[in-house]
Amino acid sequence: MDFQFPQQLFPSFYSCEPPNRVQRHSAGGWGCYGGVLAQGGTGSVSSWAFRSKRQVGGELWRQMEPVPVPLLSPRKAFQELVTPPDPLDVLTHMQNFFTDHGPDAFGCMSEILGENFYFQKAKGKTKYRQGSVNMWRTKSFVDQLKFNMCPMSYRSRSLDRYSSLLWDVVHDVPPDLLGSLLYEELTEQRDRMQFSEAATGGALAFVPFSQSDGCLLYPGGPGMDRLNFHRVALERDGSACVDTGQKPVSFQLKGPVRQISCGSCFGDSCVAVRSDHVCGVWGMGDQNEPHLLQVVGTEAAASCINVSPHILGEVLVASESGAASLWTVGRGMQKVRTEESNLYFNAKSSWRWCEFSAHPRVMLYADRTGVELTDFRLKLESHPRHTLFRISSTSDCQRGERLLLVRFLGDVHPFHHLLTTQHSAYVMDERFPCVPMLKWDHMMEAPPLFCHVAPGSASGTTKVLLGSQSSQEITLLQYSGGAVEACCSHGSPQALLRPRDSLALLPVQLPHRQQTAAHRLASPAAGLTCLQRTSVSTATMIVLQLTAAGDIFYQVLERDDGKPGTPETGAPETGTPDTEVRFPVLAAETSSDEDVVMPTQAPNARTFVPETPDRNQSSDRPPDRIPALVAVGNGADWSARSALSSATRHTWRRWLQKLMRQEGKPEAPPRLVVRTDGLLSVPEPDAAGRHLQGAQQQDLQRCMRTRSLLHSDLEPVPVPPAVDAEAWHDLLSNRLTTAWSGGQEAWLDWWQEERGANRAMKREALRRRRRREKEAQRASGRHLQLSGSFTSSVSYQTDLDDFSGWSSGTSGPLSDSQRSRPLGHLAYFLEDQDDSPPPDRLDPPCRTPEPQAANQRSRNLADQSLSSIWETQDDPPLHPTPSSSSQLPSFPSLTPSRASQSQRGALQASQPKKKKSRMGF
Amino acid sequence: MEALDEYLGLPVVPEDESDSSDCSSRKRHKSKLPLAESKRPLAKPIGFHKTCRICLEHVREAMLHHRWQEAADYMASYTQVLQDRNKVELVWRMSTEILHNLPNTTVKDYNIIYERMKHSGFKHYLMICLEHSFHLMLHGDIEAAKHQVSMAESWRHGKESVSQLQRIRLIQAYRSLLDYIMWCEKKSTLSKDNSFESDSQGMHTFFRLASTNLQEILKNPGVWDPFILCYVEMLEFYGDNEEAQKVLNHYAYDNSFPPNPNAHVYLYQFLKRHDTPDKKLMKVLKHLHVLVPSHELMLTYSCLLLQSEKQSHTQKALGVLLDMLDFQCWRSNLDVWKCLHAVIHQLLQREEWATSVQMQMALRNNWWPALHFTSFHAKKDLEENSELFEVKASLVEILCPERETVITQPCNLDLTY
Repeated sequence: MDFQFPQQLFPSFYSCEPPNRVQRHSAGGWGCYGGVLAQGGTGSVSSWAFRSKRQVGGELWRQMEPVPVPLLSPRKAFQELVTPPDPLDVLTHMQNFFTDHGPDAFGCMSEILGENFYFQKAKGKTKYRQGSVNMWRTKSFVDQLKFNMCPMSYRSRSLDRYSSLLWDVVHDVPPDLLGSLLYEELTEQRDRMQFSEAATGGALAFVPFSQSDGCLLYPGGPGMDRLNFHRVALERDGSACVDTGQKPVSFQLKGPVRQISCGSCFGDSCVAVRSDHVCGVWGMGDQNEPHLLQVVGTEAAASCINVSPHILGEVLVASESGAASLWTVGRGMQKVRTEESNLYFNAKSSWRWCEFSAHPRVMLYADRTGVELTDFRLKLESHPRHTLFRISSTSDCQRGERLLLVRFLGDVHPFHHLLTTQHSAYVMDERFPCVPMLKWDHMMEAPPLFCHVAPGSASGTTKVLLGSQSSQEITLLQYSGGAVEACCSHGSPQALLRPRDSLALLPVQLPHRQQTAAHRLASPAAGLTCLQRTSVSTATMIVLQLTAAGDIFYQVLERDDGKPGTPETGAPETGTPDTEVRFPVLAAETSSDEDVVMPTQAPNARTFVPETPDRNQSSDRPPDRIPALVAVGNGADWSARSALSSATRHTWRRWLQKLMRQEGKPEAPPRLVVRTDGLLSVPEPDAAGRHLQGAQQQDLQRCMRTRSLLHSDLEPVPVPPAVDAEAWHDLLSNRLTTAWSGGQEAWLDWWQEERGANRAMKREALRRRRRREKEAQRASGRHLQLSGSFTSSVSYQTDLDDFSGWSSGTSGPLSDSQRSRPLGHLAYFLEDQDDSPPPDRLDPPCRTPEPQAANQRSRNLADQSLSSIWETQDDPPLHPTPSSSSQLPSFPSLTPSRASQSQRGALQASQPKKKKSRMGF
Repeated sequence: MEALDEYLGLPVVPEDESDSSDCSSRKRHKSKLPLAESKRPLAKPIGFHKTCRICLEHVREAMLHHRWQEAADYMASYTQVLQDRNKVELVWRMSTEILHNLPNTTVKDYNIIYERMKHSGFKHYLMICLEHSFHLMLHGDIEAAKHQVSMAESWRHGKESVSQLQRIRLIQAYRSLLDYIMWCEKKSTLSKDNSFESDSQGMHTFFRLASTNLQEILKNPGVWDPFILCYVEMLEFYGDNEEAQKVLNHYAYDNSFPPNPNAHVYLYQFLKRHDTPDKKLMKVLKHLHVLVPSHELMLTYSCLLLQSEKQSHTQKALGVLLDMLDFQCWRSNLDVWKCLHAVIHQLLQREEWATSVQMQMALRNNWWPALHFTSFHAKKDLEENSELFEVKASLVEILCPERETVITQPCNLDLTY
């Protein structure tokens, strides 16, 4: 009774206006009923039953394993970047471009310049090369640039000169223009990584031949350009998918496989494959080997291919030019519709899609804005067109919503079509266009590009699986109805497992392996299909997912009918024997077949790479005692995930090992190799020497055995000549010499002296000397009385120089180092005039070498402000007279604690003093 | 709370949403698709906001994986976020969904959630009221459901937006539906008791209450199958057939309404109930044929056409039947093939009519053989229904005389038709 139309539909408003709804929450369609229909009222109120559009309970499908399981062993694959290139990092990308595409970037100029450059290493220039520059040295330098070396220490001056001379002329494309082009390209690359519409539809399909076996179609090879037809059989319980031992039949294509579409009719199957510019159709059957029927090339990139479910050998092909063609295999293509622009508004998209409908001569023509029904029996121009779906407020679209995928659900209901957008999935009935029969919020992060619809049994629900590309999500939706009763959805969307999440649940890997595996598992999805099997007791669903790296992962879902025995309450938290029982040991397979990782391999299969220590331990234990990893969850969770079985764990381990072997060692960055041959040439020893050498080797070995020193037989090495301590005058040498020669006391004395602890003693000695001198002067005569004060001031200067031991170590009148420390100098000068402050407190920090460095900055500042003063003070006539110096005790508050401020303060204060003294003078 | 919205990745949109949907994407380059979740770097939330966000992520994750108990545990902590009025809908939806799926939920739990959320913000009052009444209806408590919708009906707050107006209409219509159910009950008791006094008054009150609202909603373009059915039934009961027919005609033929096949079916059924002449019935079915050539009433239509004994009608019947057979669901239906057999034999009696068969088949010549007359079909028909095989075999010569030349099957065919 497929032809029936629901007697009543759920009420809804209808309007063709553009949508303006904006969803403000991330809860999708949770929690609401959406509408009700009253049924079966005979009279009393209680006899009425209601049916909601969104029904609360659906079938319970639960995973049998917490992780998806790899079906095939990993193969070599070109892996895309996990993170998109950053368009803002243009410099790096420009550099890469110049390195990788040198001829494109510098072709013309290099031809012109090449005539005058000579890159061979030539001793003398040949005649032909008379007017050219020899560049071999520059070339050899450039050759080494690929190594990672310090650009500062390793540079070529000639190259620097050339680059400053030529930097603006060598580019064929001006860097500014190239930069903007590159930026555009990188931005597009990033968008493509997030969403690549070429993969719409998915390149994974399963053609069932009987209840238990069928043919799995998937692309292989590093570039996904090998089409494989692989016979697979379902195991007894349908709980695992296993190879029948046959090698896949494969065909090499010219481009990557984007989409595979299958149609079956009376046991014969037709497989259409879309590559970017080539489409092919293969025929296949249970008995027949797959054979190629026809291949066509398309001018514009094909965006869709679909096999007719009605007539075997009819295929619809849509291309980005906007044309849709009916391809009757063996007879050629017939253009059935062309469309220059988008259907309902300008979405600026060249993506087109077409699907068959319930009528063999009516097709769906779709783009991002909507879907039209096109009857192509008539001529191209006069095709009647009816809107089936458009982005509008009738379907309660959100702003910015776009159509992504259309799928004819012929197996489920002859008039139903599934449509997906970024936010929702719709079921449309082509008998009632424009109004969706059903709508879900699928709540997926990334737009769904793949779908598989599994028809339910008579009373069961129809399962819709949506798969997204970049995030690998798979969402399971359920619905029923469509014939007598209106469609209604069951339960809420259920997210299935993703391969990229599985590493967290598997035993820990070594970090670099973890990284490699995570990278591999994170590659975007490329296809989705599902195998369904119903037996008397259970219903199982095996969901297969293809990733862009060519791996296929499967997860087994089992319907939970709420029977006793099934984990309704208290799911197994650890690997209980129950889980082992659910995975019966499968029939032993031919071990020669390496294509499929069989979960039944002996647990002690040979290992390919050294095990992770942690796993070594675990593999020693019997498998049933391995504590299974379970999802972190609430203990009382009635729907907790099931445990990881040892079979799965083993499969994963083998898969990861193979992956590691496949990937090999990570490539080290290139290193500069310096050839050392002949650099050190040891003369060949003569016979006697050789004998000596042998004897010495024996001695050495003997010594090593006895752990003794090999000193007796060797000639003593001459001791280096004694150090002449006098030749070293600097402070450190003095200190070291003292410490070395005199022992601790001598050094302590030296240190005391250095620090000025015995200054009082010295000062006393100085004073005594001065007194003696004065007395001597007095005794010698009084003819110099007038200038006595002046000379005494000069004598101060010389006295100060005598303090060289604790001031600077230099002698002579005001050396440079002293000049650089005017404050210290002045302070001594001042304090010398005044004996009252205790000498140990008058030790300014700048006097020892260490604080010098620390106070460098403040000193410099002081220097700047004081240089002028010093110049004046350098002037001998301006030296303070004894009369003026007698006034100096008026600022005795020069304490070391305030030395830093006081230095300036002292000088500011000292300035008027000098003026005064000058005036006085 | 804009910051909160921002970090949750939700688009912040000004209230006056007047521009159309496509503006946002028009500027961009080819294959730009507004993705569900923009990847723009979000401001890093701190403190309480961060905690809320992580909690929300956990709840969502658990709910998507159908780990309801875990989700409920997280949700218990998340309700603090209700201080933010923008989160009311989110919290309501998530809590209700969790309640739907937890095994030991009580009616009280539901009532608490619905009542609390209803009064947590005026924005969602109507929606939550309506959903609450749906919940009560589904659980058989029609009185309480009616109470809920009546409450929502009398609720007014501020300016009515378009969506709010639609929701009010819908609430009114559902209330009328409940009125109709009450009316049905009264009717049934009335027919039992035959006491024609006060009850008929009450019944009429229900009718009046329902009819105003139903009239109102039927004016809006949309799909109103359950509402129009009860309205027409009530009108028919009170003998107002003219009004009923007017309403049905409007529902079927108004261009602002979506092309609902049921509208035509209801009209046809109404006319049939009231013994309308075949001509009118055929007119309705003709419209339905344009809309849904595969409808089950098409068999009736072709019979009516045949009965009318008009020359052109027989040709029309041929077209209708051939159209039906185009569709997969009728391909092995014996009744249609028999009917087609009758029509063709009627047509073949006249020489000039025979050409009409050829004309009809000219369009189908290149695909009908593959669709109906392959050896596989023959084998299958013979196994499942030999009568069908015979009928088809008798027609194959007339329908596809040159079928050998148009076979497109990639496999070798051994024709048995």
